[in-house]
Amino acid sequence: METYLQITSIWGVYLTAFVFFAGMGVRIYQWATTPRSPVPFGMFPKPATRGGRIAAMLRDTFVAPHSAQIEPRMWTFAMLFHLAALAAFVGHLRLVQEYPVLPKLLGTEGMNSFAAWAGGIAGTLMMVAVLYWIGRRTFGAFKNLSVPEDYLLLGLLLGVIVMGNHMRFFGDVHAAEYRAWFQSLLLFRPHIPEEIMTSNVGWSLGTHMLFVDLFLMYFPFSKLVHAVGAFATNLTRSE
Amino acid sequence: MDAQALQTIVGVIDKRMTRQVKQYLDICARCAICKDACHQYVGTDDLTYLPARRAELIRQVYKKYFDSAGRLVPALYEARDPDDALLDELYTSCYACTGCRRCMYYCPFSIDTQQIVAIGKAMLIAVGRGQEMLGQLADAALFKGENVEMFRDVLVSGFKDIEAEVREITGDPEATIPVDKQGADILYVALAGAHSIRPAAVIFHEAGVDWTISLFEAANYGYFFGDPEKARLIAKRFMDEAKRLGVKEVVVPECGHAYRVAEIFYEAWAKEALPFKVSHILEVVDRLIKQGRITVEKGRIEGRVTYHDPCQIARNGGIYEQPRDVVRALTDDFVDLIPNRAEQWCCGGGGGIVAIDELRDVRLKSGSKKVEQLKASGASVLACPCENCRLQIEDLNEMHGLGLQVRQVIDLVVEAMPLPRSASAS
Repeated sequence: METYLQITSIWGVYLTAFVFFAGMGVRIYQWATTPRSPVPFGMFPKPATRGGRIAAMLRDTFVAPHSAQIEPRMWTFAMLFHLAALAAFVGHLRLVQEYPVLPKLLGTEGMNSFAAWAGGIAGTLMMVAVLYWIGRRTFGAFKNLSVPEDYLLLGLLLGVIVMGNHMRFFGDVHAAEYRAWFQSLLLFRPHIPEEIMTSNVGWSLGTHMLFVDLFLMYFPFSKLVHAVGAFATNLTRSE
Repeated sequence: MDAQALQTIVGVIDKRMTRQVKQYLDICARCAICKDACHQYVGTDDLTYLPARRAELIRQVYKKYFDSAGRLVPALYEARDPDDALLDELYTSCYACTGCRRCMYYCPFSIDTQQIVAIGKAMLIAVGRGQEMLGQLADAALFKGENVEMFRDVLVSGFKDIEAEVREITGDPEATIPVDKQGADILYVALAGAHSIRPAAVIFHEAGVDWTISLFEAANYGYFFGDPEKARLIAKRFMDEAKRLGVKEVVVPECGHAYRVAEIFYEAWAKEALPFKVSHILEVVDRLIKQGRITVEKGRIEGRVTYHDPCQIARNGGIYEQPRDVVRALTDDFVDLIPNRAEQWCCGGGGGIVAIDELRDVRLKSGSKKVEQLKASGASVLACPCENCRLQIEDLNEMHGLGLQVRQVIDLVVEAMPLPRSASAS
């Protein structure tokens, strides 16, 4: 157990952080150093001002209203996934630093209960969305469009979510212990608290982190770079 | 595929790669939201015509030669060499694409399939697999550009014949089609054939416009073929003519891609700012009507009139309202197609596909949405300011028995003008 956690949840995290940031850096460098076509390829109507262009880009990137119009179901699941992922990300910030106000207001028990509900809902929504995507890709009319990359990413994502949900729904370890582990990583004095190793979710954390490591290490080399690229391409829409 | 051909294709991708296309190829999530946006995929249900699939063919080669992950684990991306099978599918998918960019409108990342398809066409051209007919038409236009004196007498004599018709229509024996008129306000660059010249000449004459006609036609098969250098040179023919004559405005006829090439692309291609403005003929006609320089009367056009936004003029060119204002000035019974403007369905006739016989079936099937729209409108007259759209919709009209009159907008304008022979002007 200890070795497994050391690999996936300590050294794997450092490796992942390096690969992720370096990979994204290289990707953005490649984009930045490829000459832009001088031809204005925007479509009409175009916003008249620079501020209008940026507002339209942000709207198109975060809300994608045109996609919603043409395929509401796909858009709904995509929005659910991304919003739930954002909520999960915000929830995971507790591992860096406990929230300033909420725990005082709710008390320890109340905060744990709130986190259980919020995290449980976010995790469930993400899982539903990923299962929908897998189904849509596997059984849709355009299934032959899919390549192994698509399934690999969905598989990794499902692994991350299922193991996260397992910790959330079946674990008896709360944020403080996970925070002790994660802060130790940030301070470069990594250790896994005893409470986690002796709990019923040590394996879950290890496997959650295994999927997280693989997912984030692969991220810069996959289509997921749309997380950054979509801002640029949606700005091109109005150039 | 031999090593040299492979090297040529890879070289062309490298040469033609832009930041925009690189981003498109890197980020497309194959979510296939584009499936309901593309008239060809909707009309055929064939994966070849799915916008994301068109991009995927190019991405497979790009991943293999330009992406470290694709080189390392090609199977993950189905990255592969451009073999015959790939090039065959690429030929069909690229030359069938009308470049309407409706998929871009609905894509959550605004991926411009037309730009990706342009790389696909460049790959095909590099290994001698470009579409033959489009290539020949482009070369013929370039030949004419280089040897215009050889054509001058024939052209001028043709203009004289049309001039005689204009005199009859307007009842003015002095009406002319000016050629090579130095210092004219407008250079009108027509299409091949009298149909795009005659009504424009009538309108210009009645409005008292100081104009002259170009010896060249606005259509640009270099653009359809997929060779931007040829496209630039074809457009350069009349841009140079406009500079030589010192005109204030170049006016392109009712032709979608000609407008986009002249107004949106040319300055970037030629790396120069043009000393005159470029307009679509309907922008000018709208202006002339609003200034009261020509008179049009409602009631002369019979039946309900609707309007089709050609993709290259509307979504890709920004002209939505002026043509509608022109049509509304001609009739009280105007109805828009639904959807319209930026969401207008492509008719299926753009991108040069009307000149490609082997894609005729796909083209006709891809018009299914346009047929639905036209039927639902209840219109009996379609005003349509693009030649390729008209050719396609005429075919759909006949095939589906729509009973529509498919009309050039300037023909409708002339018909609505109180002239001695306006009814037969077209």
